Amino acid sequence: MEQIKRYVYAVTRQLPQKQRPEIERELHSLIEDMVEERVLSGKDAESATEEVLLELGNPNALAANYRGKQRFLISPELFYSYMVVMKIVLISIFVSMTAVFAIEFILNPMEIAVQFANYLLSLFMVIIQGFAWVTISFAIIEYAGVKFPKNGPGTKKEWKPSQLSPVPNPSTLIKPSEPITSIIFSILFLVLFTFSTHMFGIFVFQEGQLLNVVPFFNEEVFRRFIPIIWLLIALSILRDCLKIITKKWTKSLIGLHILFVIASFLLALIMFTNPMIWNSNFTNDLVEFSLLSEGSETFDLVATIWERATQGIIYVIALITLIDIIHTSLKAYRMKNAG
Amino acid sequence: MKDINEVINGFMQELRRGTIILLVLSQLREPQYGYSLVSVLEGKGVAIDPGTLYPLLRRLEKQELLESKWDTDDTRPRKYYLLNSFGKEVYEQLCAEWKKMISSVEAVIEREEDKGNGTN
Repeated sequence: MEQIKRYVYAVTRQLPQKQRPEIERELHSLIEDMVEERVLSGKDAESATEEVLLELGNPNALAANYRGKQRFLISPELFYSYMVVMKIVLISIFVSMTAVFAIEFILNPMEIAVQFANYLLSLFMVIIQGFAWVTISFAIIEYAGVKFPKNGPGTKKEWKPSQLSPVPNPSTLIKPSEPITSIIFSILFLVLFTFSTHMFGIFVFQEGQLLNVVPFFNEEVFRRFIPIIWLLIALSILRDCLKIITKKWTKSLIGLHILFVIASFLLALIMFTNPMIWNSNFTNDLVEFSLLSEGSETFDLVATIWERATQGIIYVIALITLIDIIHTSLKAYRMKNAG
Repeated sequence: MKDINEVINGFMQELRRGTIILLVLSQLREPQYGYSLVSVLEGKGVAIDPGTLYPLLRRLEKQELLESKWDTDDTRPRKYYLLNSFGKEVYEQLCAEWKKMISSVEAVIEREEDKGNGTN
């Protein structure tokens, strides 16, 4: 029975969501019919099942028959995930860039014409970039699936029922909201880091109006790291795409995730232990916008906090990284036990 | 040298693939479910690969040649397929094409055989 369930799952998981329940029901009943006939003619249930599944052949080939197999840049199995990711990416780009534009406008209302032109141009460029990268990511995933099938129709190896992987355990499933949120934040940070490093800081309001931002970072030094940040964000979006597609934790996904977390930590280590990255005028800037007055007790306090925070942030990041790695490794452990 | 049986098997598979639709349609004036169709055809001496047949039934249904209905009264629920009027029409015309094809293929083969016999 378990073998039949696994077989049906292996076939239907490759089919469009809408057709799944119907085919699942039909295939199940057909296999039972075939097994029953063999049992009636004197076979034991187990070898009858084995025989029937072998007769039906590799589930990937059967699924391809159900689909009518073709080759695609982005195949129908991936297309739904592709559209989901594409929508998230484009909407996130639009929203975050518009937010950046809005803040720029509030800070500097006199230059709206120039800003608006810049905004449209940047938006256009970034949306094309986003579109291209999502498409490229999915094309790579598609190509990898066609070129190196695990046990797809393309392989020469004989398929056996014992190869069937178990129906996934709920504890290893990934909720779609997790990678979606991750993509949204990745894009938000991508846009902010690229266009508006100076907006990471203390917002200075005067009479309810946004007057200026006292930045945390030295923009010039920060900019040097941007290509590496892009690379990491691209890696994280690729990982999130894989999560949306596989819908469950797999060994390679856990590996990719841990690789990403460690790479991010190394980048953070290099960036934040470099004293040049911080805005060396931070406390002075605060004084300039009369948020502080020099020599006062608060000034000393803020200066101390600033110093501690800039030195200490890497420890906080290290802690978060460690928790993330342990959390993910536990998933791998649970997956092993479930499998 | 390639194994002759292997080569012939390959071609036979292709020939069978071409006739399977005709065979399936021919049996669906009466409602049948997937496995009963395999048994019926087997009874008439035609072996059919279920891995090809089951998806084919769905495809024919999608192409609106077949009607389908779930029967839940049986020991287990079964999906029965039946030709609709469009399907019947298609089947009849396909049959006519098939007969034409057989006679022309036969004519060609026979002519070649005659020639071969003539020179020998």
